[in-house]
Amino acid sequence: MEGGSARLLSLPPAVVADRPSDAIADARDYFDPDGVWVLATERAPRAHATVRSATGGADAAVPVVHTPLAAADGPRHDRLGSDDGVDVVSVRDTGTLPAVGRALRDGTLGTRPGTTTFVVCPVTVEVEATRLSATLPAAADLAALVATAPGRVVVLSDLLPADYDHEWALDASDDGAAAEDPSSVRIHGLGATEGYGSRDVACLTLSSSGAIGTERVSADRFGLRALEGVGPRTADRLRDVGVHSRADVRRTPLRELTDVRGVGRDTAERAKRHAEVLAAGEPLRLSTTPLPGEPAAAPPLCLDIETDGLSPTIIWQIGVYDPVADEHRAFTEREDPSDPGRVVTAFLTWLLAEHPDRDLVTWNGNRFDYRHLTSFVERHCPAYAAEWHDYWKHDLYDWAVRQDNALLPGRTNKLDHVARKLGYAGADTGLDGAATAAAYGRFVRTGEPLDWDRHEAYCEDDCRALWHVYESLRDADRRDGVVVERERAADSEQAGLGDF
Amino acid sequence: MAEGTGDGPGRALPLTGRELVETFPRYADLDEHVSVQELEPREARTVPVEEVLRPELAATYPYDPYVHQARALDALARGENVCVATSTSSGKTDVYGLQIARNVLDARARGAESTAYVVYPMKALAQDQQRELSALYDRLGLDIEVAVYDGDTELGETRRRIREEADVVISNFMGVNTYLHNHDVWSRFFNSCDLVVVDESHTYTGVQGMHVAWILRRLKRVLDYYGSDPAFVCSSATIGNPRAHSTALLGESVTVVDEDGSPRGRRDLVLWNPPPTERRDDVAEPGADDETDEGEASFERQPASVEAPRVFSHLTYHDVRTLMFAPSRKLAELSIGRAREHRRENPRYYTAGEPRAIEPYHAGQGKRKRHTTEQSLKSGALDGVAATSALELGINVGEIDATLLMGYPGQRQSFWQRVGRAGRDAADALSVLVADYATLDQYVVDNPGYLLEGDVEDAVVDTANDRVFAQHLLCAADEVAVDESDAGPDAVADRDRLERAVEMWRRAGKLTGHLETGVSYTGPPRPQTDVNLYATDDEQYQVRMTEGTPPEQEPDLEPLSRERAFRDYHEGAVRVHGDQQYEVVDIEHGRQGGSSQPFVRLQPVDVEYYTRTRSEVTVLDAESEDSRAVNGFHLHFGTGTVLVHHAEYDRVRISDNERVGVGIPTELPPLTMDTQLCWVEVPEQVERGLVERYADYRVPDLPEEAQSPHLGYMGGLHAAEHGMIGAAPLELMLDPSDLGGLSTLVLDGHLSADERTVSADEDELAGPAGATDDPGSIEAVRTALERCQREGELERSASGWFVYDGVEGGLGFSRAVYEAFEALAARTRERIAACTCGRTAGCPACVMDENCGNDNRPLHREAAVDVLDHLLGEADTEALAAEATDERRPPLFYS
Repeated sequence: MEGGSARLLSLPPAVVADRPSDAIADARDYFDPDGVWVLATERAPRAHATVRSATGGADAAVPVVHTPLAAADGPRHDRLGSDDGVDVVSVRDTGTLPAVGRALRDGTLGTRPGTTTFVVCPVTVEVEATRLSATLPAAADLAALVATAPGRVVVLSDLLPADYDHEWALDASDDGAAAEDPSSVRIHGLGATEGYGSRDVACLTLSSSGAIGTERVSADRFGLRALEGVGPRTADRLRDVGVHSRADVRRTPLRELTDVRGVGRDTAERAKRHAEVLAAGEPLRLSTTPLPGEPAAAPPLCLDIETDGLSPTIIWQIGVYDPVADEHRAFTEREDPSDPGRVVTAFLTWLLAEHPDRDLVTWNGNRFDYRHLTSFVERHCPAYAAEWHDYWKHDLYDWAVRQDNALLPGRTNKLDHVARKLGYAGADTGLDGAATAAAYGRFVRTGEPLDWDRHEAYCEDDCRALWHVYESLRDADRRDGVVVERERAADSEQAGLGDF
Repeated sequence: MAEGTGDGPGRALPLTGRELVETFPRYADLDEHVSVQELEPREARTVPVEEVLRPELAATYPYDPYVHQARALDALARGENVCVATSTSSGKTDVYGLQIARNVLDARARGAESTAYVVYPMKALAQDQQRELSALYDRLGLDIEVAVYDGDTELGETRRRIREEADVVISNFMGVNTYLHNHDVWSRFFNSCDLVVVDESHTYTGVQGMHVAWILRRLKRVLDYYGSDPAFVCSSATIGNPRAHSTALLGESVTVVDEDGSPRGRRDLVLWNPPPTERRDDVAEPGADDETDEGEASFERQPASVEAPRVFSHLTYHDVRTLMFAPSRKLAELSIGRAREHRRENPRYYTAGEPRAIEPYHAGQGKRKRHTTEQSLKSGALDGVAATSALELGINVGEIDATLLMGYPGQRQSFWQRVGRAGRDAADALSVLVADYATLDQYVVDNPGYLLEGDVEDAVVDTANDRVFAQHLLCAADEVAVDESDAGPDAVADRDRLERAVEMWRRAGKLTGHLETGVSYTGPPRPQTDVNLYATDDEQYQVRMTEGTPPEQEPDLEPLSRERAFRDYHEGAVRVHGDQQYEVVDIEHGRQGGSSQPFVRLQPVDVEYYTRTRSEVTVLDAESEDSRAVNGFHLHFGTGTVLVHHAEYDRVRISDNERVGVGIPTELPPLTMDTQLCWVEVPEQVERGLVERYADYRVPDLPEEAQSPHLGYMGGLHAAEHGMIGAAPLELMLDPSDLGGLSTLVLDGHLSADERTVSADEDELAGPAGATDDPGSIEAVRTALERCQREGELERSASGWFVYDGVEGGLGFSRAVYEAFEALAARTRERIAACTCGRTAGCPACVMDENCGNDNRPLHREAAVDVLDHLLGEADTEALAAEATDERRPPLFYS
């Protein structure tokens, strides 16, 4: 990507408040942000202080911003990140936005012209379901901002969840958003996800072109709590005996850990092992169960599908990576999106002809890829349904995480996070699943073709990342005392559509 | 079912209705309070089995089907949806049981499968029905697997096996709602689904009804996704509008089969009004003046909760196997002791030493205990059971001689459902209703014709509530992408409504994509878990108890809607459940953004008072969507904003209704509801005439300076409004506490944006989370309205009253009131005029309403009857003083 980019870590005060500072420090180490924003959901001086101290104190290079504590009403400006950096302007209420627009126009904030300015501001969306209406109470202020500011502005809201991204039309009319409309503004969330007890923290990768990548990790994945089997109570008890960090867990002899009330031998062993895994960035296998698809004459084909949404009306791309030949194959519907059967049929025809006896492997396919593939095959290609059913379909995520066969070094179990921690250097397509789905939706609606190569590269990248994780697990250390029994296991269990 | 006509019609009861009255202790003059109706038996009407079923089924099905069964099966054979609306135990299960059998035989003949989804309202019924259906297939010699799949079904392999193998799956709508999320694991079942059964479909009304209507629409989308287009069977009790109700529920046309061919034995129906506790010395003569009105002595009768157990005791003494229905668990339990006590207190009448075997039965008991009771009743080991509504639906308890109802259950439909539990299979039966001195009960005992002749109530289900629609749209998009095929008259919603809802959720970040290409769900996982079948709002107040409350004192309460929590569960409110008092010690609203659960906390107390909430209601921006003229009055249906402020409450001593604490603040902010409403405008001439006619009326205990010549007329409007809400359950299946009312001299509550910002900023009022400490908001709105009135801006505004749905978004109740307005007005008039209380201000059985926010003042029965007579065209409007008076009306509001 051209231009600068920066990583902005956002922390809800409620999450900071009940997290020990070592967990905050751990989050900082994990995300390595260029700036930390303590969200303006409330005035939270203690949370602010906790974060500042955990990220290196007042003199640290990384700014810690909490707008409710700002001395003046005026906007705050930070330039964050690599290359020429990214401009982030923060205000504590929406009433300041028109002034921000004027300051950007007049160049008084020192922002770089020609690049996107990110404006952090507590903007809400008001939903009145009884009237089927959703409105922006701050629409007038936002309109003033975008009307005055010379360049592109993206608003980051403290009060919307980090997966929120919407281009709002700001004219008086109530109908849909229009991206080309000059009086529109893109609003992206910074906050925790919705729902009772949600404890996510989000790290946004902002680029001066306006692109935003979001990584969300549960707050419970930092500090001692990141260790499997260590809940809040156990973490407190460990801290009571002076075990504050995962490094402490690794250093403390097993015997001392098991002296802690509520910590049994299993928990202690598991915590120590997991601490090693996270420190070393290497996975650890916990059982003698063979990898899914092992043993077999040839390793499984790595599969990934792209759809137009989580409830797909079409599977428009099926990517298959064959690790034996080191070849990737993409089946893509570029012509006629009204026929949801063509890609599936083409894929199956190829699969049955070329690889009648290979197993398939996916990441979380039991919950997504296989579910939808099977449903599409049954409806659009019933002639091959029985054959498709007979393929052995494995889910590496299910095997590792749900069946508890391995510990992975990522803080989330998303494929790209895990692969990155395992040293996979992926192609940077700037896409994610939602973006590629939305792009295809636009193609179907407007007929305007996509940058097909880029979207196929994204899917291929996932297939290759999957193989990278597979290989890492194949070569991974086993827990002490676990003997290699790969030869003995006659057949692995077929991981069909699971019981969810 | 048609089986077991065993003893046939005419099997003698141990005690007839007349004999019950004659043998009851110390009731020399029962005639004054008790009437006995004798209902004639009805012969079975059947169709030869070979005319209905194919030979292979006819050979093994041991009965000739009743005519309604035969018609329903014919309609199903033609591929139609069917609603079977016939009496209890008329063999409705066999209708769909046999249709499933035909589908399975057809499918197997071509080497395929056929499945059926059978949905019951309660988990408790599922096992019973599973046994019944399995028994049918055993008898028919068919290998059809019937399985229950609900919250009690073991996780894992058991569930997987049912999904992948069962032919018939029995569940409930909460389950259907949940399981739609992972529909792919049901692909085999949905692929082959030929029949969906909605059992006890009449129970789906109001809030629950609209959720069920949406769940059924979502189910149909998923079935369509798998290429299935099943027929639907609604199995319903007798209701007034089976076609309209099933069509609204299913969103498809249905063939109604309601000609009941099942036999019925002779039935004695005893309407039992308990004797008075004390008589007033000065019973007001009808038409007498008002002087005695506010006399302290009040006419009351023994409560049904005391009287019914005596009748229960008496019946069981005479070997009449009796099922008594009590309105609460506590009363079911207490009735057992009271029944025994009755024997001990009347040793001259009851010679047998030990009371016969009687047991309580309610959902608070363990499964095993309930099952034992069911079995003992069936085997004859028990003579009587005092049950809650837990026994109302479907559970087979064998032959019952008599049913006894402690109080009128509120609706004819429910009344007959309970009564029908006695005398199954054409046996003779006895049914006794012991009336409470309250609301509908007195009307019913005074007008037996209402029970015997009138049609049963209409069941109201409505899908117009956008909040509920929008919630189910999220679920629908999570299940199968929403696209253009979902827009249209026979689809999920019309295009405009769908577009607006999708755009709203897209802006809110919950949906993504467009209708042209498919809209997917992107919010937090499993939106289905947010669906609450009992509320229109996802914001529910849980009911919690203070720590250390013994389990037996924990009331059995569903979560409360915000409206209900504010009205009845403000801090300091004393509520009675069963016979235990509880004080609300805490109400917690939760934070905006839903980060904590709202709740109320109750503490068991023993105090000598109860509390009564004072509420102020204002209706703003009523927009008429439909209107019509009735005898010069104008009726409207539409939507509007209701502002309700439950601002204060009184403490009222139980023993003498004396107020011991007045105007205690609730500290709650006002509520706003965008909801459905209906209203009636009184013609100017009628208003002027009636104001004049009742100008001399003085509200008792009101200082002279506060009296006004309008108060008599106003009391009439207020009484008519109360009477109408009270009478609504006589025509419609609804809970009157879901309706609210407002009578006013100024119906037009439109304020300009400016006036409103000054008075009540709507945003601030949106809810407890965003509410300011501005309890004066309603006052401010009224002040603004009064100013408009003074300045003549509202001069043309008529007086009249509103009836509104008391939940956000509405329930369809006020629309139903609008549609049935004349019938309801006639019923209301009859009820108010006939009340024996003899008081101008009425009594709880006619125009007083326990939920009245204005302490039931002013109320004027005669004026109400007068207004209603004009509305019904039964009064001479010309005779009213036609002279216009210049006096401007005060904008008075009474809820």
